[in-house]
Amino acid sequence: MMLSEAVRTEIKKWMDLYPAGRQRSAILPALYVIQREFGYCPVDAQNELATMLELEPAEVGAVVGFYNMFHEEPKGEYHVEVCTNVPCMLRGANKCMHHLEEKLGIHHGETTADGKYTLDHMECLGSCGTAPMVSVTRRKTAEIRYFEELQSEADVDQFLKVIKSGNAFKTLERWTPKGDPKGEGKAAGPYTVGGMEQRYLTGRVGKENSHTIESYMADGGYETARQVLTTMQPAAVIDQVKNSGLRGRGGAGFPTGTKWGFLAPALPHYLVVNADESEPGTFKDRIIMEYDPHQLIEGVIISAFAIQSEQAFVYIRGEYYFAFTRLIGAIEEAKAKGFLGKNIFGTGKNLELVIHRGAGAYECGEETALLTSLEGYRGHPRMKPPFPAVEGLYAKPTIVNNAESISNIPHIMRYGVDWYKKLGTEQSSGMRVFCLSGNVKRPGLYELPHGTTLRDLIYQYGGGPQDDNAPIKAICPGGISMKLLKPDQIDTKLSFEDVQAAGSLLGSAGIFVIDERASMVEVARRTLSFYREESCGKCTPCREGTGWLETILERIEAGNGRMQDLELMEHISKFIERKTFCVFGDAAVWGLQSNLAKFRGEFISLIEKTNPTSEGPVIPIRPIYRPDSGQPSKLTSSTLKPVGESPLNRDTMVAADD
Amino acid sequence: MTELVNLTINDRPVSVPKGTLVVDAAEKVNIEIPVFCSHPKLDPVACCRMCLVEISGPRGPMMQTACSVPVAEGMVVRTDTPQVKATQEANLAFILLNHPLDCPICDKGGECPLQDQTMRFGPGISQLVEAKRRKKKHYMISDTIVLDQERCVVCWRCIRYLEEWEDKPQLALFERGGETIIDIQDGKPVDAKTSGNIIDLCPVGALTNRVSRFSYRPWEIERTASVCNHCSVGCNMRLDTRTHQLRRIVGRENMMVNDQWLCDKGRFAHGWVNHEERLTMPMVRKNGELVGATWAEALQVVKEKLDAVKSSSGANAIGGIGSAKLSNESNYLFQRFMREIIGTNNIDHRDGADVAALPTGLPALADVMKPQYGPNPKVDTIFLFGVDPSEELPVLDVHLKRAVRRGKAKLIIAHPREVELTRYDGPYLSYKPGTEVTLLNGLTKAALALSSEKPAELQQWVADVNKDALTNFCGVDANAVDAAAKLLVESKSALIVYGPLAARGENGEQVVNALTNLALLTGHYDRLAFVGLEANSQGARDMGVLPNRLPGHQSAESVDARQRLERMWNCTLPKQAGKSYKQMLNSAGKETKALYIMGANPATERPGWAEGLDKLDFLVVQDLFLTETAQLADVVLPALGWSESDGTFTNLERRVQRAPKALRDPDSKAAPDWMILDHLAGRFGTNWSYANEKAITVEITKAAPIYSGLTWDAIGDQGLQWDAAKVRPKPVYREAEQRLVSTENQPYALVSGTVLFDGGNLFHLTTKMQEMAFGAKVGINPEDAAKLKVADGATVKVANRNGELKLTAKLDTQVQQGTIWIPESLPGAPVGALLNGRAVEYVRVEPVK
Repeated sequence: MMLSEAVRTEIKKWMDLYPAGRQRSAILPALYVIQREFGYCPVDAQNELATMLELEPAEVGAVVGFYNMFHEEPKGEYHVEVCTNVPCMLRGANKCMHHLEEKLGIHHGETTADGKYTLDHMECLGSCGTAPMVSVTRRKTAEIRYFEELQSEADVDQFLKVIKSGNAFKTLERWTPKGDPKGEGKAAGPYTVGGMEQRYLTGRVGKENSHTIESYMADGGYETARQVLTTMQPAAVIDQVKNSGLRGRGGAGFPTGTKWGFLAPALPHYLVVNADESEPGTFKDRIIMEYDPHQLIEGVIISAFAIQSEQAFVYIRGEYYFAFTRLIGAIEEAKAKGFLGKNIFGTGKNLELVIHRGAGAYECGEETALLTSLEGYRGHPRMKPPFPAVEGLYAKPTIVNNAESISNIPHIMRYGVDWYKKLGTEQSSGMRVFCLSGNVKRPGLYELPHGTTLRDLIYQYGGGPQDDNAPIKAICPGGISMKLLKPDQIDTKLSFEDVQAAGSLLGSAGIFVIDERASMVEVARRTLSFYREESCGKCTPCREGTGWLETILERIEAGNGRMQDLELMEHISKFIERKTFCVFGDAAVWGLQSNLAKFRGEFISLIEKTNPTSEGPVIPIRPIYRPDSGQPSKLTSSTLKPVGESPLNRDTMVAADD
Repeated sequence: MTELVNLTINDRPVSVPKGTLVVDAAEKVNIEIPVFCSHPKLDPVACCRMCLVEISGPRGPMMQTACSVPVAEGMVVRTDTPQVKATQEANLAFILLNHPLDCPICDKGGECPLQDQTMRFGPGISQLVEAKRRKKKHYMISDTIVLDQERCVVCWRCIRYLEEWEDKPQLALFERGGETIIDIQDGKPVDAKTSGNIIDLCPVGALTNRVSRFSYRPWEIERTASVCNHCSVGCNMRLDTRTHQLRRIVGRENMMVNDQWLCDKGRFAHGWVNHEERLTMPMVRKNGELVGATWAEALQVVKEKLDAVKSSSGANAIGGIGSAKLSNESNYLFQRFMREIIGTNNIDHRDGADVAALPTGLPALADVMKPQYGPNPKVDTIFLFGVDPSEELPVLDVHLKRAVRRGKAKLIIAHPREVELTRYDGPYLSYKPGTEVTLLNGLTKAALALSSEKPAELQQWVADVNKDALTNFCGVDANAVDAAAKLLVESKSALIVYGPLAARGENGEQVVNALTNLALLTGHYDRLAFVGLEANSQGARDMGVLPNRLPGHQSAESVDARQRLERMWNCTLPKQAGKSYKQMLNSAGKETKALYIMGANPATERPGWAEGLDKLDFLVVQDLFLTETAQLADVVLPALGWSESDGTFTNLERRVQRAPKALRDPDSKAAPDWMILDHLAGRFGTNWSYANEKAITVEITKAAPIYSGLTWDAIGDQGLQWDAAKVRPKPVYREAEQRLVSTENQPYALVSGTVLFDGGNLFHLTTKMQEMAFGAKVGINPEDAAKLKVADGATVKVANRNGELKLTAKLDTQVQQGTIWIPESLPGAPVGALLNGRAVEYVRVEPVK
């Protein structure tokens, strides 16, 4: 027996949080407990967990293998993960990584000989505005802390000093070199937040103890919820949200009220808040959960009331450990006040809220994948229809809304539809928290009405290009999934409809700016690396295509590109786009497609410079089938025809088997 | 009447039932949509994306997966547009991107959907100029299945089969993205009893059959439609042969029997067919040793010796033992030989007259089946009494799981072991062996309380079964008894199945009486069924290989029936019933002087019987191998068995199915049973002169009225059932009496039964499966083992007044406290040594130092 009684008791506590018969949902929290105990998830422990959850061992192993944050091998005492995704890359993440490699004396993917440090690449951790950054996991406690703004080698050195001093985990709040000049591990407080004069969603960020219920209630918090629950009917709430024109803030922009209206009548209903904020370039939900968690909880209370749900879940991404602890604390506070649990606000209504922590899988941001993950499976998307509103979590009617969308609800109920519609444009009402990152002077969160122009955001709020000598080359308007815009589109208004008209989508409003210093080939390659890493592996085009595209881009970068590769990549992208099971496939190639269309010259000149004759690489032959396996093959791709008509005569049909 | 939906596919109008998927609708009009993940027996997942077609929608034609979209009225589908073709090409390029293309050494080559579709729909060129991804190649995920991850196209069929049918998701996706692989959890091989089906389902060469690997190429084999010879389900299968050898077995669809599934024993355990130890020539004992002989010599010895015994001690000193493993034709002719030529009713088979069997079997397997597309099972409740389908009838087990999980059927289980199916909700009655009647009377009493019908005599018979008796005597939970009775009373259509374990020996008749009372009272008498466990258990009974029954379940003492056969066979038949299997073997060497044993091996069952057989004046054994029994024989006749000779088998639902000859070893002198018996009859001066097996089948349809019309032409390759109503006994309430159970002061009730992977020749000669065998083990509850201070794998002595066995302890939570479990047919563990012919015995267990 690997799992001690104490561990079993702890796991059982998690199991009790989920509805009867749905204990499998506790698989992720249980694996976190196991990983904290052993530093990784040993197979024997997995098998014992399988017995506890009444599963086959393979089902647990499958889950461990899917999620990035569960390890099958022990990691170092401090697991240092550097975000190298595009927004961080633009601000020097690679330099930061190299310096760490030199300082620690290991390559990424390795552990120091003394077992103290493991260094790894990481995908976006929601710190794009404070890039470059590393996240550190302390094996002993399984706590995670973010160390941000490591812009110079000196910053990195200071970070290492803090880690070595043993003060690094005195608090879990984020750390910056500037906020802690003495190296005591001090918290840096919230990152840059700005925007319009009176802010709502981020209005309380920066206040002292803004995350506590006292502070929140002092600002009038929970009054709206009380008002709604004691005086309104659920249908009226839905109507108000419908009339406000609130559209989902997660990416697709679907009208929230309309979604609520689709809910099948059969009870129970579930409300699931999608706080799996993983879209590179996006870091808005994080700050709400870290510094104003009660705002989200109040939104949950009102929304759950509206859709008649007595059980709500917040699915938070696993890396957001600090936000997770803040939410857990906030729920305790709200429960103590009688705002959650039984008979809330004395209305006889009940509401249980469970924080479910993901474990590192971008795909789980897709609503059906999120539900599958919440049910305790690998985070694969599932078929629509049935839509979650009809058959969602545990095959019951379920509403999945983004955390920012839900945070809008209290304001809509408090200030009314007219106020809300006055902000923003006709089709994109209300304010938006824009995440500005990349090559600008003042990256950060800017809460502004929909319809603010890109130019205003970048120049007025962001302070213009980071380097005055490097003009802006490209802008990504909605997270890395979205098509790139060129600088001549800078007057595009930031609303769902205007960005769409400009040939892209507003997505999650993660806007990052790319300047002349960056290589678009590298941007494309790093984007595809991300999608290759995060593809869930369910459907063929995405599983095979993303990796293929990455390999081609790597080859081009390495100086072995061929001109025909550009058409080949367009060909591959075309058959990933709209051919995959979920929209992840579209997201994976839109960036590349627009990049190839708008910045093709960069690709061409790189190929011309490094491989002027477009010589193909040596085709590797599987060595085990050849006697001279050590020798390179003499075959080259030039013997093969380029993309186009099939050389096989299609008329020679093979008869079907009888 | 199902609602029909009209749509067009490539401008061709199609009408299909509502709910049909586009891919299936297209098949109706012979339009092929290529698929990998889609399978007609599995839920759609739409993950391979091969079946993308254009379906018109509100926003114009959209690319949608035909495998997941149900048809809609007025739908317009196109599978022939340039966009669809380009997508198919591109998608195949993706699928083949990292596929190793090792077709020349791949078992699937030649029958591979990936190959076929690449030729039909593929791009014909690879654009990949980088190295292919490497993954784990050819490693065992169980003793019978080899996985090659590089060939895998991640279609999930294997995962879905294990999840949707077996409810044992032992294969899963690991890792993610391009690294996604199908694998087992480290150190946890697949052990589902029907796991081999995933090989049939695999659309590429990723999962291959370890027993058959590299022994065939699909274009070289001959394919014969047959049925399985291992258990009484009678699964339909295809035998692939080449150069007189059985190379491979795959599943064959029969929606009335096995869907298209086989269990692993049926699929893999065929090593015996071409085994080198097969008997290839007759043998005669000379100077105490068996030596080779000619057929003429051997048959002459048999004739002379049997004649000698008959003239000295009478016909009833001779007995015949047939076998439920053999075909109807073999068994029919054998009983005709014994009755007509020897002139005795001393004819039986194992689990024949010694088991209180009802003659009719299951009403229909289809009643419990829940196919992928089809209504819920006809029966809403299934009561298993002393049957463990997981070990005994694995494909029925699959049907039951499916019926419970998807067909809303309820399950009641009464078994001394907590068998695998008890994992589903439903009352579980864990009775101790020998207490069956009390338990059933308790159920009847509980049912009477809920039933509107209250027959006075029945009430009186079951009146004294109280909670104390159920709890302390039977060892069952009285609440579970109430719950089970409630389910049976409330059920509109319940199936009650009992097996040999519950109805053997001294208690058998009483158990059947008690079961009849319960079934009659709750209105399910027509669905009360006995299931035998051998491939032709039903057929052996139907053929009259019973001391008291003529072919067609006619009483051997019925004058009408006898005279009818006498006219047909032109002979005089013995008038009184004969000895049963047990009686013949018990009296061997005493009043039984000579035995003719065909396809049975009683010497391994009990040491006492081996001694008796040795004392016989004359023993002739007709078998495939020189079994322990054959080694005692005076004459051994080498037979050809299943797959080598034609014949019909009758499964547990009375379905008569044909297992044709698929191969024959040209070097062997062995002969089919019918031919041996025909020639032997000739030596006795009776000229049967059958031309072939078919002629015997025709005679059976006349001799056994219930088989009327069941000729080869009629039964085809899907079989036909005979009508149970013709022989179902009249329903009558009878008192069922609980006999006393004597523990002889021993602490543990001995539970026997059947395991799938036993020690019989038909299993253990498949060398690659030997690791899977149960072995000479005794199952002990872990709590009992702790009290006995016995560890898993330790050697223990199990003993009682009849004898003792040295066995390896196997700690097993399925075994109830206070009982131990020793299955039958284990090499080196003849449980008969402890049972000594009784159904219930108590034993002690001692650790051996």
